[in-house]
Amino acid sequence: MPEAAVIAGPFTDMVGKLTAFNKALTTKTTIAQTPKELVWALNKAKLYRYIPVVPKEKRHPVPLLLVFALMSRPYILDLRPGHSFVEYMVNSGYDLYLLDWGVPGPEDKNLKFDDYCLDYLPRAIRKMKSVSGVEEFSMLGWCIGAILSTIYSCLRPDDGLRNLILLTAPLDFSNKENITFARWTDERYFDIDKLLAAFGNMPGEMIDYGARALKPVENYIVNYLKLWDNIENPQVIEAWQAMNTWVTDNIPMTGGTFRQLIVDLYRNDRLMRGEMMIRGERVDLSRLRANLLTVIAEGDHITPPCQSKAILSKVGSKDKELFSVPGGHIGIMAGSGANKRTWPKVDSWLAGRSK
Amino acid sequence: MSDEQAANGKPPDPVEAFRDLRDNYLDAWAKAMVQTVNTDAYARTTGTVLDTYLSASSPFREAVEKAMLRVLEQLSMPSRADFVALADRVTNIEMHLDDMDAKLDRIEKLLTKPATASSSRNPRSTVPSHQKKQKAKGAK
Repeated sequence: MPEAAVIAGPFTDMVGKLTAFNKALTTKTTIAQTPKELVWALNKAKLYRYIPVVPKEKRHPVPLLLVFALMSRPYILDLRPGHSFVEYMVNSGYDLYLLDWGVPGPEDKNLKFDDYCLDYLPRAIRKMKSVSGVEEFSMLGWCIGAILSTIYSCLRPDDGLRNLILLTAPLDFSNKENITFARWTDERYFDIDKLLAAFGNMPGEMIDYGARALKPVENYIVNYLKLWDNIENPQVIEAWQAMNTWVTDNIPMTGGTFRQLIVDLYRNDRLMRGEMMIRGERVDLSRLRANLLTVIAEGDHITPPCQSKAILSKVGSKDKELFSVPGGHIGIMAGSGANKRTWPKVDSWLAGRSK
Repeated sequence: MSDEQAANGKPPDPVEAFRDLRDNYLDAWAKAMVQTVNTDAYARTTGTVLDTYLSASSPFREAVEKAMLRVLEQLSMPSRADFVALADRVTNIEMHLDDMDAKLDRIEKLLTKPATASSSRNPRSTVPSHQKKQKAKGAK
């Protein structure tokens, strides 16, 4: 019998590992656990206020609005307790709001940047000001959320925006050699009219494929090998599952916005050239006067650093800063080093400007 | 690695060497693939694949849509277009409600300003307007 146990031992270990691996792959974890309340809603968009934990007299008086991308869930900002930017900022004394764009349906296929920047965002900001009882605010835009924040800031410079933080902001599309998405969506290869005629909105699965295909070996192989190598480490599994839950939770982008993103920005670089029109108004970057912090990720394949630097020379802000962080597009805010590098920087920059 | 393990008094792990080899290979492959996907040839290929799929599926998709529309009509049930039109109207109503909420906020602000200005004994209220509304509702 001891011989049988010796033979069965590795087999049992392997079965245990496979079971744990399968469980990690198929289980969704509980995320976005920081307490919040709904304060405003319009169509699919919702504005949440996080319940403050710092007494009012110790809180920063200027509220902060988080604006995330349109094609991903915003709970990446509040991934899990102890590893949450939202939790970190609430504990640091910010009156924090999150604008969740929701999941667009077929009825939203004509929504454009125009609608998001001039209907949804100003209304959500009005409500935030009303709830917080102050006229000035700070805004943090990440990825496409940074495009929306920038356009809004240029079109409505007198709305009370004091501080603007742009994270991995894809604003400059002039360097097409270094932007893989620009190459893929070139009009010679990519028929956007045919795609949107078929689907209405840009399907979330296709956006996900595009993001993963930028680094195919890392995303399709190494990611799972890392899990396998650490299958007996509960902390690694917990972190992996939380990230996997977010990565696999894809949402579509409205057809109108996707068309503008490809035609106006990726193909024609209209924002940087000062030619972008939003409901008849030209988006003039020099009208952006808020204090500006631009955060770039040095290893970003989705938004290469070259896309986020040029804005500093175009805006009218007197107080502006570029902060470069090692890491990828998502890793700089949700990776294991985020709470040592990016979050403290955002906090310290904002704290001095939120008095 | 094996020297390090020997120094730590641990037995050498034969899998470790294989893992290092694997990681080095994957690293080199990953770098090559990043360069490969950022080429015109890759862009042309994916574009062709997508175009072929869209062209091939289009007749089926249109036929299914037409058939479904006829079925829904026969069953006197609303179609997707009906729901889209309804959603538009609901969003429009929501926007009007939001406009009204904004106007109410402005009126409330105007009403509370003179009151606070005339009564110098009362400190300026710091309660947000939405909380005031909730309190008022509770009083009713």
